[in-house]
Amino acid sequence: MTDSRTKYSFYVEQNALEATDRPRRFLEAFAAVLEHSSYNLPLDVYSRASVRCGRCAADCQLYQSTREDRDIPCHRSELLLRVYRRYFTRSGALAARFGNGFTLTDEYVDEMAEAYYRCTACRRCKLTCPIGIDHGLITHLARWLLAEVGIAPKALVVATREQLEGVGNTSAIPVPALKDTCEFLEEELKENFDVDLKFPMDVEGAEYVFFPAVSDYLLEADTLMGNAAVMHVTGGSWTIGTGNYDGINYGLFYSDRMMERIVKNEVAEVRRLKGRKILIGECGHATRSAWFVPTFCGPDAPEVVNCMQYTARQLREGRIPLKPERIEERVTYHDPCNIARAGRITEEPREILRAICRDFVEMTPNRTENYCCGGGGGTVSIDEIRKFRTGPLGRRKADQIRATGAQIVVSPCANCKKQLREVCEDNDLKDVQVVGLHDLLLKVLDFGPAREAARRAAGEPAADQTAGSPTVLARSNV
Amino acid sequence: MHAWLEWARGPAFVFCFSFMLLGLVRHVGVTIWEIRRTLRRAGDRSLPLTAIVKATLTWLLPADRLRREPLFTATSILFHVAILVVPIFLAGHIALWARAVGVSWPAIPNALADVLTILAVVTAAGLIAQRLAARATRALSKPQDHAILILLALPFVTGFLVMHPGLNPFDYESVLFVHVMSGNLIFLLMPLTKLTHAALLPGTQVVAEIGWHWPKDSGSRVGAALGKEEEPV
Ligand code: SF4
Ligand code: SF4
Ligand code: SF4
Repeated sequence: MTDSRTKYSFYVEQNALEATDRPRRFLEAFAAVLEHSSYNLPLDVYSRASVRCGRCAADCQLYQSTREDRDIPCHRSELLLRVYRRYFTRSGALAARFGNGFTLTDEYVDEMAEAYYRCTACRRCKLTCPIGIDHGLITHLARWLLAEVGIAPKALVVATREQLEGVGNTSAIPVPALKDTCEFLEEELKENFDVDLKFPMDVEGAEYVFFPAVSDYLLEADTLMGNAAVMHVTGGSWTIGTGNYDGINYGLFYSDRMMERIVKNEVAEVRRLKGRKILIGECGHATRSAWFVPTFCGPDAPEVVNCMQYTARQLREGRIPLKPERIEERVTYHDPCNIARAGRITEEPREILRAICRDFVEMTPNRTENYCCGGGGGTVSIDEIRKFRTGPLGRRKADQIRATGAQIVVSPCANCKKQLREVCEDNDLKDVQVVGLHDLLLKVLDFGPAREAARRAAGEPAADQTAGSPTVLARSNV
Repeated sequence: MHAWLEWARGPAFVFCFSFMLLGLVRHVGVTIWEIRRTLRRAGDRSLPLTAIVKATLTWLLPADRLRREPLFTATSILFHVAILVVPIFLAGHIALWARAVGVSWPAIPNALADVLTILAVVTAAGLIAQRLAARATRALSKPQDHAILILLALPFVTGFLVMHPGLNPFDYESVLFVHVMSGNLIFLLMPLTKLTHAALLPGTQVVAEIGWHWPKDSGSRVGAALGKEEEPV
């Protein structure tokens, strides 16, 4: 046990420390991945074309604060590319024969383990690389290979085990507790907003099956209430599936094998409920991993929609009534890399924020060029590295937030929120509040029209106000 | 010397130049083949084409970078322009091609070629200096990164001397020999070193995107290959 706390900066499971023969098994896993997945192409091109120009260093928030050679993105990627070149290319084998002696050793595996968990795989550095080398991809692959020889942060493995082989979700919330929580949230909504709103459970044939980061049920009540409120006022057809209600996918951070299983479980739940689409809550990596649904399940798999995309469209179509009040505090927005880096979701949250805030300011840089909060790639779940996360990894973000002078930082991502709160705590930004997007929206949402509609419906002879019955939950409210 | 020079411009040049052409064509061919294979196997075949085209153009015409990192970007752009334009569009080179294979194309004026030649040498020196000055590049650089810049500057230095015999303190034919042979060496090294990026650059943004498009069921297939299907998490 003591060992597992000292070998790497993150804890691993005991059996990882007893593992033997790691270089050979690493190479075996590498060979299998090259054969059955398709990482050859980038590895091949990157290892031939990298020009070692050093541009990427300037872009990494980690290198910016540590200035350590090992934190230069290209330097880190070269660790894996060297293995690839030596063992999986002809020229590498040839060079080895002429005594250009690189051999994969146990120490080298350890070096990679340390290095690839210092990178958050935020992919910011790809933007500045003239060759377009995607260090996030290399980190992603390297971590998978390391996991195959047993090296993966215990925090991630334990949560994934719980999700795939235990209770069924990463926070180990059993179904009765889920139902209790939802009832509690319903009461809260009733009390605070005088609205009769249900969290629909296991409704068959709904358009959207909802997968938030399951930790939201424990930690982010306001976000969930906001989500439910939007579905309520827009009359969205949605449901929570009691078979699977967790969008979290740590597979994205350490293993494609796990990622595939988790993604397929989501699809299975949608199919079980005869739903049509996957609705992801406020979570960056849950969204990005769900975007891999067609990758792992083929093109007929259900469509993936992030809740902000849904909300922004409804807002644009005038279906979300707002009170005259607005959020008065200064608000800024942190783009979660997983949804913003490739430019897939950047404008929707801003549309919503501009509609509900009086003083919305951007941090710079933003959108596709945003800095990672420092908790990416699963590092936020690794509590033992908090100092590193909020220090070297998070300092850049703290400076950015400070420069905006905002009192509220909005980030629609469970990971980012946890990390940003810790970043603010540890970097002297104690007055800054970190919240989700739907939390804020909830504050200015006008339930009047929906209430009116419900009353009218109740006045009708065949009133369906028997709360709790699933048919009621699935109905359209507008 | 004369015989050596004839050899350098004759068989040696033909060999090195063909080696470069075939080598680069092979790199491009292999990459295109891999791209097609990867896409054919991919579970998700949709590609964000506009984003890819935009990223590719950004890197072929890095105006935006110029604003952000003026010194390095300017040096790098000028260097690349100079070393590509001069060898291809120098009147003297075109004349050689015309004599050998009977094709020719418009040349740049010699005065411009002179300017670009000096620029190539100066920017090569500038790139070396910046490589040494910035901590990150210093850490990343291998000896060959500096060597290759020196090698790339060599035909320009010698070419300038050949074009301006009045300024040339050395024996004309020896300088010309060094000129031709350094050029040959560059051709030879193109497909074998990082200079390959000359051919691969236009495709790298596509590759970065397609790198994430794995085959359907690839995770479980790897698991099966490793005999880990039944293994608990
Ligand atoms: S992916 Fe992000 S954390 Fe990793 S090296 Fe690049 S910029 Fe740094
Ligand atoms: S910017 Fe690209 S080519 Fe340059 S050092 Fe970084 S990874 Fe290598
Ligand atoms: S935690 Fe948030 S900011 Fe950091 S990498 Fe993930 S999505 Fe990006």
